[in-house]
Amino acid sequence: MNKHVDTPEHSAYANTAEEAIAAQDALDGPEMTSEMATEVAMQNTLLTPRFYTTDFDEMDAIDVTPVRKDWDALIAQMKSDPNKGHFKKNDDWDANWEGMDPALKAEFIDFLISSCTAEFSGCVLYKEMKRRGSNSDITTLFQLMARDEARHAGFINDALREAGIRVNLGFLTQQKKYTYFRPKFIYYATYLSEKIGYARYITIFRHLEQHPDKRFHPIFQWFREWCNDEFSHGEAFALLMKTDPKLTESRVNKMWIKFFLTAVYSTMWVRDHQRPLFHDALGVDVTWYGQEVFRKTSEISKQVFPFTLDIDHPRWRQNLDKMERASIQVAKGKEKGGIVGTASRIAGMAKAATAFISILTIPAIHHDVPESSVMEPAY
Amino acid sequence: MGLLTRSKETAPCTVTISHRFEELSAHVKFNNGAVVNPGDSVLVHGAEIMAPYGEVVEEERTATITRASWVEQQWTRWTGDFEFMELCEFSFSEEVLS
Repeated sequence: MNKHVDTPEHSAYANTAEEAIAAQDALDGPEMTSEMATEVAMQNTLLTPRFYTTDFDEMDAIDVTPVRKDWDALIAQMKSDPNKGHFKKNDDWDANWEGMDPALKAEFIDFLISSCTAEFSGCVLYKEMKRRGSNSDITTLFQLMARDEARHAGFINDALREAGIRVNLGFLTQQKKYTYFRPKFIYYATYLSEKIGYARYITIFRHLEQHPDKRFHPIFQWFREWCNDEFSHGEAFALLMKTDPKLTESRVNKMWIKFFLTAVYSTMWVRDHQRPLFHDALGVDVTWYGQEVFRKTSEISKQVFPFTLDIDHPRWRQNLDKMERASIQVAKGKEKGGIVGTASRIAGMAKAATAFISILTIPAIHHDVPESSVMEPAY
Repeated sequence: MGLLTRSKETAPCTVTISHRFEELSAHVKFNNGAVVNPGDSVLVHGAEIMAPYGEVVEEERTATITRASWVEQQWTRWTGDFEFMELCEFSFSEEVLS
């Protein structure tokens, strides 16, 4: 690849694949400076996505006739690919990794890696469904969603590369076990993860609009259009759930929905509290942020779930905090090891479980679900 | 399928990796139509595959599929659902920095 096209200074500015490669070659080439050499000596980070399988026949049997009109409109919108040109870097991309506090950098990189892994896992799952299915409504949807997730993963990957982190796909040649997801759990879990993803990104984006001085990395400027993709994916799962009322109305399934909501909300809470510097740098109070994201997600999820969690209940915050403390105890116990460490870890897990049950048993707030689930991203 | 025993089979497969700005993805496809079931494990043989940045790489490889025993398959069916957190951006990444 000794091609010498007019090499753009960064692969991201390239118009074609050839130019991107040339730009990368220029970085990797022999005429590099010492700073560039340091950059090339990248840290490896192994992506560890999970591999899923499901009941493909059941998914294939989905009939979208009851929601045909909304379904076709959504697929047409996704096919038109409004974000095709969005994930390109422009002059607003002013990443300054050198100037970043190392501790903040570590948390931010952790944030980017978990985002990249999530997009990647989503892509693998959607692509697998596309491949195994034969119902063209369903396979088209999964193909389109896999496209978006791979695009997002590529964008984050590029941001990581600038920070000197190279994604390692070594997992491909390692033994990997396929776990199982019931189709309905795929709907609940992916619906929630897409909608909460939207709420998280848009909350940060709107906050930074008010406080532009806190925007310590350019990637946040891309969040609005990015999370609109997440929003439409969520719309698709809402429609899928609408095709079969039992999915959201039967007693057992309502219990599952409550379980999923509680698990997703509480995991997010615990996880975000582990990144204090990241939130400080953004000027975001992590507790406010958590509640705000829950509020938005709950409001959106009314489109399809018949109830929302009572996030203002006195037991709510109290037990989320308890879970957070328990998770620290578990991590410390694990680090310590030995009998004392193990005992402390088990005690921590018991505390977390008790707190989880306490949250799970808070009575939900019921409401009437609208006939059509269609929604626009409005935050 | 054995109640408690696993069995192994090999399958030719195509591994596709896109390591480009516009797409980061990786997929393994079995060329003989083999289907992976809950609890099965897949090992793609050969050296680690990594596309250089900006490229898409496709390689023909051989994979060993270790079929789960019946008990293992049932277990995975019951417990697999709880690993769904992986799909959330705030999941616990188990990244290994080397």
